[in-house]
Amino acid sequence: MHDVGGQTGFGPVPEIAGSQDGPPFHADWEARVYALAGVLGRRGLFNGDELRDAIESLPPERYLSASYYERWLEALEILVARKGVA
Amino acid sequence: MTAEPHHHDLPVAARVRRLEERVIAAGLASDGELDETLARFYARATPVNGARLVARAWMDPRFRERLLADGSAAAAELGFGPQVSSYQLRVVANSAQRHNVIVCTLCSCYPVALLGPSPSWYKSLAYRSRTVREPRAVLSEFGLVVPEEVDIAVWDSTAETRYLVLPVRPDGTDGLAEDELVTLITRDGLIGTARV
Amino acid sequence: MTLRPGTRVRASSADPDHHTRLPRYLRGQIGEIVYAGREWPLPDDVARGVAAPRAETVYTVRFAAARLWGTGRHTVLADLWESYLERADSEDGSEADDEAGSEDHGEDDGPQEER
Repeated sequence: MHDVGGQTGFGPVPEIAGSQDGPPFHADWEARVYALAGVLGRRGLFNGDELRDAIESLPPERYLSASYYERWLEALEILVARKGVA
Repeated sequence: MTAEPHHHDLPVAARVRRLEERVIAAGLASDGELDETLARFYARATPVNGARLVARAWMDPRFRERLLADGSAAAAELGFGPQVSSYQLRVVANSAQRHNVIVCTLCSCYPVALLGPSPSWYKSLAYRSRTVREPRAVLSEFGLVVPEEVDIAVWDSTAETRYLVLPVRPDGTDGLAEDELVTLITRDGLIGTARV
Repeated sequence: MTLRPGTRVRASSADPDHHTRLPRYLRGQIGEIVYAGREWPLPDDVARGVAAPRAETVYTVRFAAARLWGTGRHTVLADLWESYLERADSEDGSEADDEAGSEDHGEDDGPQEER
């Protein structure tokens, strides 16, 4: 479901107004997800392609309804479980 | 803990907290590392970096050539070597005949160190799906009207090859110093959703 | 196989069940090599934890919007690993398909051999 290039029907591009001055994260938890991915990636728990692959593995309905960092969170949960380290 | 209802009462925030705790307990991360990651992100990733590359290219034609030939090597000249070391930076020049716009249809690849945090719209399904198919319509939503006689090139990025647009230098800026030129260049201009 | 700029290529039609960086909208499409870039590990291998991922040249390939969508004058450029591509026979595409930018191999495209 991640392979959306050229798909129609997604409507207007959201959140354009004020985007050059706004904060990078909508909420603290998003920033924490970003930080977690960075630290765990640097630790070698997974590489970038594995993270992208885990995000892509989300069921289509989940992929479409989740927000960007919710997808990251789910992917991190999958990878942590798969690697059996925590 | 502050009592902001839109943060700590959200199920997702609780899930994040649980994951953090598991990971910390397993010795895979510390609160300090997490905080430091965020601090570095905020401090070092800014579109001023990309703007500096553009301003230098506007001032120095030979630097412009080097920037277009190998963006990573040119970025390293200005001190951004470590930031772009994990990928190949490619810089694509706008002209009177050509407008460039960048997207990552499969995820959201983006030169964060040079542009700052990626905007939500860049990561949106609408931008990712529509920009390769109808760039003029997408750009018009940003208030950017590209005349019909100007060709549009849409660059679909990967993690290994990330793009920056070199905007056309605006008229009437010949007398400006490089530092002043830097302030004219916006993040959206470097992605291609604004003229500069 | 080293593909030189100007070479006409066809992107693979394969629909793998593993991670790949060939987008669906380019599968089976005819494009033209603009630039031969560096070698990078194949993401298809890296994502699956292959011990020695294949390193391949990543090419910047130009596609005409009119061929991708049946309409549009713009071009779409994507960076594709060598195994995603094969040479296209000359009869696979007409000479006049790229209305927008096919003749433009100037500086706006980025790196050029003569630089």
